[in-house]
Amino acid sequence: MDLRNRLGRVALDRPAVLLVTAAGATRERLAVEAELARRRWPRASGPAAADLVAFAGAPAPAGDDDWAERLWNGVPAPKARVRVRDPEHAAHALEHGRMALLVGAGTQGRQEQREPAGHERHDADGEHPPQHDGHTASGRSEHDGHTTSGPSEHDGHGHDAHQDHGGSHAGTDQGHHGHGGSHPGTDHDHHGHHMGGAILGLPMAERADDRDGLRLDRLHVPLGPALPDWPAGLVVRTELQGDVVQRASVEALVPPRSSRPAFWSEPWLRSAAGAPVTVDEAARRRCAAHLDSVGRFLAVAGWRDPAAVARRARDQVLGGASVADLRSGLRTLTRRVRRSWTLRWLTSGVGVLSSTQAQRYGVTGPALLADGDAYDRLLVWLEEIDRAVDACDDRSPLASHALNGPRGRIAPEAPASRTLVDVLPVLLEGTEFACARLVVASLDPDLDELAPQHARGGHAHG
Amino acid sequence: MAETAPLWAAVVLPVALVLVAWAAASVDARSAGLGRAVLRLLVQQRRLTRAADVLLVRVGTTLLPVAAVLAAVVLPLGFRSVSDLPDGIVWFNAMEALAWAAVWLTGWGPNSALSLIGGYRFLAQGLAYELPHMLAITTAALGAESLRVGALVDAQAGLWFAVWMPVAFGVYLLSALAMAFWGPFDQPVGTDVAGGAASELAGVDRLLFLGGRWLLFVVAAAFSVPLFLGGGQGPFLPAWAWTVLKTAAVLGLLMWARRRVPTVRMERYVELAWVVLTPLAVAQALVVAVVVLGR
Repeated sequence: MDLRNRLGRVALDRPAVLLVTAAGATRERLAVEAELARRRWPRASGPAAADLVAFAGAPAPAGDDDWAERLWNGVPAPKARVRVRDPEHAAHALEHGRMALLVGAGTQGRQEQREPAGHERHDADGEHPPQHDGHTASGRSEHDGHTTSGPSEHDGHGHDAHQDHGGSHAGTDQGHHGHGGSHPGTDHDHHGHHMGGAILGLPMAERADDRDGLRLDRLHVPLGPALPDWPAGLVVRTELQGDVVQRASVEALVPPRSSRPAFWSEPWLRSAAGAPVTVDEAARRRCAAHLDSVGRFLAVAGWRDPAAVARRARDQVLGGASVADLRSGLRTLTRRVRRSWTLRWLTSGVGVLSSTQAQRYGVTGPALLADGDAYDRLLVWLEEIDRAVDACDDRSPLASHALNGPRGRIAPEAPASRTLVDVLPVLLEGTEFACARLVVASLDPDLDELAPQHARGGHAHG
Repeated sequence: MAETAPLWAAVVLPVALVLVAWAAASVDARSAGLGRAVLRLLVQQRRLTRAADVLLVRVGTTLLPVAAVLAAVVLPLGFRSVSDLPDGIVWFNAMEALAWAAVWLTGWGPNSALSLIGGYRFLAQGLAYELPHMLAITTAALGAESLRVGALVDAQAGLWFAVWMPVAFGVYLLSALAMAFWGPFDQPVGTDVAGGAASELAGVDRLLFLGGRWLLFVVAAAFSVPLFLGGGQGPFLPAWAWTVLKTAAVLGLLMWARRRVPTVRMERYVELAWVVLTPLAVAQALVVAVVVLGR
């Protein structure tokens, strides 16, 4: 037992972290990502692989679906979670999470093997009620909450209205907040228990003709809000046949009203409001914003090496590294990405958005300039990165007219990302799953921009 | 020249494979923290999704490492393999094809959309890589006029097959990556589907599945040595050392290539595989057949 404790401690000394970013929490996400890179903790791609869940910002429920809670229930023990509400507290919160895991592994983790009843887990965040994670006598973690009777079971109850949707196989498309998809893969698992009929309370998949006229199962699968390398707060509700997206509708979880402007367009928003902003500040932010998008795009394309380089460079740009230092590193990166013929082969022809179509949706910025597919949009980012680096030591004041942020024209009432979200469904229909991910990553809407400026609340629908 | 190893080799084989896979994974991760990652999975609890077919998941996750070890039975170290079957090449291919079942079962079992997509992806991958792969293996067998792995190694005493069957060798390396769904062919467990077929696996299940994938990768890469690189043939050094060196070189090459290339989507690759690679592999087989007939 002592040995097992010690092994557990060694194992959890560097926990695998699942970072879940709420809409409007870009600053917190960047702080956590930088801290994780510094500590070299592994990143988990989903709840099953995670030891520690780090919530950047406060996750807003999608409708009445508390997806963050469902996601947490899907994490196998031993586990801990932390909430990072302030970028400065990232390091502290992660350390806190690690300690919680270590304490849990030392004592609680082993006790629960002997105690048949589900019992309270460790929660690094003292603000929550204690969570039950549904241990059965066999020591397995059944994350559907089936065997628990604690407060975490609230995803099953009171959702009867959504039962049809719960299995994500169901018929109609509207109103199924029931599966906001903490992690879309797990969404069937949390609903519809205690129900008769169908299979284990899950309705069977309906069928429909696919693009080749074959009758195939059609699954309703929400993508987001918590997928790796996915824009925070974006939920795309898809109808999948096999892995082809037959239909898609977009829902944006609007970030809470905040006194802070959206991080990536902050310099331009401040300039528009009349505050003095220098060119270098704007250039750095644009450069970092595009590097963030490039890193995400490359990660979705499965090219991890340069994706990591892009993210490191992003942190350096924001950290105020000198232009000379930045230039050589960034030139190497952009040249490497441009030279890859495999990347061109794999991403060209995906998500073609002509400039006329873009104009019809009011799209501005890189997506309009690119006038083409995902690869063209990537090239525009790379070009703007190269150009922005040169302006990173220009201390002259930023002209306060015709403001163009990283995602397009700065207009507080009609943010550029809104148009990117609007254009998504058209581009997604008929794509294969991996292409759909590339399309989203190549537009990379920043939902922070949608935060209500005035007393405009509630959910906006795309 | 080839001989069968003593019985205890059957026990040593899985251990040796795990050690090689461990070394390769450590080099790939550029860290020595692999032990911690494995421990993490060992202390982590297993997890069940709702309406999951537990049996299928267990069978799938267990089958992957088992298939890798079984395929390695015909893999010679130097000139000795655990069993030099008269149709060893067919055996290898049959065991490697078990991975199809393993990944599909693991993807299907958890009753989860992303996991299912991972399973689909591997089937599509199988359709794309298997045809040129079979032709490449057949070409090597044709060159030696035998299906016995030992005979293949003997036939390369003079000239390695890689030298006069370069296309088959290249195709084999691609399909080695694809069959282990590793590197540029990792779409079935890609991050864009949050881990795909492995997305719902935790604890020991995850360890078996992802560990099995590394074993399969090592075995597939190592099999290119007796197939195309002359097995234990080489001057000065003992035969086993040549095998180890050549295997390390192939693994190094594949791991280097993985850093240069993004994930290959089957939707694109299948075109390349069927329109370019398959005809090339057929042409290669034809050339080899003519040479063999003429000698």
